Amino acid sequence: MLLELALYFGLLSLISVGGMPSVIPEMQRYVVEVKEWISAADFIQMFAVGQAAPGPNVLISGLIGWKVAGLAGACVALAAMCLPAGVVAYWVADVWERMKDSPWRKVAQRAMAPMVVGLVLSGGFVLATPNNQPDWRLWVIAIASTAAMLSTKLNPLWLLGGGGVLGGLLL
Amino acid sequence: MNNDVAPPRNLRELFTGFLSIGARSFGGVMPWAYRVMVEERRWISATDFTETVGLCQFLPGPNIGNTSVVLGKRWFGWRGSIVGFCGLVAVPFVWVLGLAAFYSDYASIPLVRAIVIGVGAAGAGLFLGTAIKLGRPLARKPAAWVVVMGCFLAVAVGRVSLLLVVPVAFALALALSKWGKL
Repeated sequence: MLLELALYFGLLSLISVGGMPSVIPEMQRYVVEVKEWISAADFIQMFAVGQAAPGPNVLISGLIGWKVAGLAGACVALAAMCLPAGVVAYWVADVWERMKDSPWRKVAQRAMAPMVVGLVLSGGFVLATPNNQPDWRLWVIAIASTAAMLSTKLNPLWLLGGGGVLGGLLL
Repeated sequence: MNNDVAPPRNLRELFTGFLSIGARSFGGVMPWAYRVMVEERRWISATDFTETVGLCQFLPGPNIGNTSVVLGKRWFGWRGSIVGFCGLVAVPFVWVLGLAAFYSDYASIPLVRAIVIGVGAAGAGLFLGTAIKLGRPLARKPAAWVVVMGCFLAVAVGRVSLLLVVPVAFALALALSKWGKL
């Protein structure tokens, strides 16, 4: 199980353009739907805990690993999610710098943008729709926090707190 | 303005710098990374910071994690990459596991559970907001809409594996981009 987790997250690491939000749907699909290691409700709760702690949101992968296989799972999942991408970053940074004037750099950058938007959008949608069963209450909370984020400059922690309050009242 | 930027002098400084970023970064790491590296410790200039982060957003993996790898390498080679990254995640990793362990003791209480799920839903909303922000510059490009909706339908609705969607979408987007449609 640890090996499976490491291999799969390692693979995801390499395609995680746009960071964690992009791969959240795939993580959920794999650990909840394909492997059935944890439930969809557990998944959103782990995600919430990850959001409420400091640090890069890649830590969610560690939490999922923890839920699946304890402390070893947490370390393996986090390392698998970071290491391959880190190695790529390590090598590509220089190449990218040298390609500064190459037209391909612009082409690739423009190609990446709409893909990242589509994937991040999917991340939000999948999280707000556990088990593929739309729950209007979760959607109300999600859309309220989207609106607050776009219209104010509040620290996201306040928005998460607001979501907690609404959750306590509605759910 | 402040041209007097100087890289960290040793690995220890690099580690403590990233440690303080990680430890304080509630609600988002980037603003803290900027504050510590550009304003407090003056390791790099604001322009340099923005360019480096821009590159890291393009690469796969966590943006800020990549930033620590790239900057660590620039200053101290592979050791710098490892030290920078470990400094960044050390405190949050302990935090998040502690929080999860604490939470699992209370997860059976319906109210606590409802609150936490509410937090999760709000977090999902932040993703939607991020997508909207990133998507605004693309609004006038029909080809971009095709890629966005294609990805969304495949991943969120069709639940197709990302391992398939990313290569296909990237090839398509690259072609559109080459023809000047994006």
